[in-house]
Amino acid sequence: MIGPVLRKELVDHLRDRRSIFSSLLMPLLGPLTMLAMFGLIASWVREDRPLIVPVAGGQNAPSLIAFLQRHGAIVETAPADYEAQVRDGKLDLAIGVPEDYGKEFEAGRSAPVQLIEDSSRNKSRPQVVRARRLLELYSRRTSALRMIARGVSPTLVAPLELTDVDLATPEKTAANVLSMIPLFLLMAVFVGGLHLAIDCTAGERERGSLEALLVNPVSRGSLVAGKWLAVAAATVVAVLVALAGFWLALGRIPLQDLGIKFHLGREEMAGILLACAPLALFAAALQMTLAFFARTFKEAQTYLSMLMLVPLLPATFLSLQPIKSQLWMMLVPVLGQTLLMTDVLRGEPAPLLWFALAAGAALVFSGALVAWAARLLKSEKIVFGRGAGG
Amino acid sequence: MIEVQSLHKRFGEVVAVDEVSFTAADGVVTGLLGPNGAGKTTTLRMLSTLIEPDRGAALVDGLVVAQHPMEARRRIGVLPDARGLYPRLTAREHVRYAGELHGIPGRLLRPRIDELIELLDMRSIADRRADGFSHGERVKVALARALVHEPRNVLLDEPTNGLDVMSTRAVRALVRRLREQGRCVLFSSHVMQEVSALCDRIVIIARGRVLAQGTPEEIRAGAGKENLEEAFVSVIGSDQGLVG
Repeated sequence: MIGPVLRKELVDHLRDRRSIFSSLLMPLLGPLTMLAMFGLIASWVREDRPLIVPVAGGQNAPSLIAFLQRHGAIVETAPADYEAQVRDGKLDLAIGVPEDYGKEFEAGRSAPVQLIEDSSRNKSRPQVVRARRLLELYSRRTSALRMIARGVSPTLVAPLELTDVDLATPEKTAANVLSMIPLFLLMAVFVGGLHLAIDCTAGERERGSLEALLVNPVSRGSLVAGKWLAVAAATVVAVLVALAGFWLALGRIPLQDLGIKFHLGREEMAGILLACAPLALFAAALQMTLAFFARTFKEAQTYLSMLMLVPLLPATFLSLQPIKSQLWMMLVPVLGQTLLMTDVLRGEPAPLLWFALAAGAALVFSGALVAWAARLLKSEKIVFGRGAGG
Repeated sequence: MIEVQSLHKRFGEVVAVDEVSFTAADGVVTGLLGPNGAGKTTTLRMLSTLIEPDRGAALVDGLVVAQHPMEARRRIGVLPDARGLYPRLTAREHVRYAGELHGIPGRLLRPRIDELIELLDMRSIADRRADGFSHGERVKVALARALVHEPRNVLLDEPTNGLDVMSTRAVRALVRRLREQGRCVLFSSHVMQEVSALCDRIVIIARGRVLAQGTPEEIRAGAGKENLEEAFVSVIGSDQGLVG
């Protein structure tokens, strides 16, 4: 008798536009985030794009211009309205050299140079920083030369020699972003069947259709099992959508160029599905059982949204602080699957036995939850809500 | 046939059903009449295996329902208090779902559904989703769902409650038809006119207890009153919204 229940719940779900919407769009959140973040990282990497420096009054400072060119900047003559163009974002920056630059420079005083920028524009910032560094470098070199000419060691006025050693290479950042994939897949697992899980439990009672359903000669176990499989099916579809989304998104990102050894191919996808499918059954059982306790559809929504955060904790932790997978962890639903997915994506999949163990543990827990939910349906408090009477 | 023997049910401090006993025979329409909160719905829910009694027994065709819930469910058709439809399923799909859950094979189920759609005059709504159904339409769908497996015993909780004149007539015609087919019909109502129009036997229930039962004649004679309405008032001790 599981078949008719499963079929009815799936038909009902497919006709529920709001439910379909949330269970198919939410899983795409991950791939879209990833696309956006990689777009950002790629723009950082693009620091090798030439630094174009429009200069106004370049003829006043020929040695500065020569220095800039020697350090790879392409020096152009700034247009007359360069300030307006920087403000409008047409130019990233401009350098202005006033007429008295030469006179002050010759006299050994501080010569005025303007760096025209719009600091509210994030896009221009890397270019502005590069230009500023070049100007500062020129300033330091000149002061060193002047001191040497006067018999003073330049190190005297530079008590510290500061060198930036930035370990956060774009490659590393990109790898961190990739480690969020399991997190988003877990979210898909706990969002995919959420609406259906509530609709066929708390929703069914709120509509008053639960009573009519329970007077049919079908065991509570079969009813719950049919609903459970329907929720799990919706969840698996959501995982597939998320995976397809990641596959498409990552296909558009030149990971090799970022120096990342990462591949989302057929084997990785199969590995992830192998880890996620049993988890889908577990999540469905957990969500349904919890939703039966809720008084209303709204209350169930609150419970299940909170439930969503719990499995995200290990995933978040792992994406920040990777730990080595151990066998016992496979027995903990969610944690096991998170580790399996992480290892698959790292290109070091765990042995098949581990997958089997994780799946087995998830199935045992699911079975227990389904049995519990079936027992709940025998309780009049659950069937009629608290305060049954009449 | 339905028998209820010394049924007792308490919810916390509230005694909902207190030593209720009655019998509803086949081919007879039995009315469970009482004000709101009298224990009618709880009694029907114990008969339909949804609530377990604290004491006493509910029997369907001689089977104690608490001990043989599956067999009992096969023998009863229930129109619950909340009609409970799925807004995204059509009327036909509701009836089919119930038929499938009763294990009726498709080739028998299809003509049965068509028959019920004819019988309850549901052609115009058969393939529409239940979302916008009127109250009367919802009751019809719920009735068709309850009758799809041709149960020997039919439990109807306030079937005409809130219906317009035409729907009420249709439900009454259906109840008479079920009686002619020799089925046992037990229906609850808080409206005296409904019960007196349809029932061969009446069980008057208030505050969880049976106060009188018998044919309308017997009840009137027992109370020593000229008409049924006065007899009800006298039996219950007040008119507690029974009339109207």
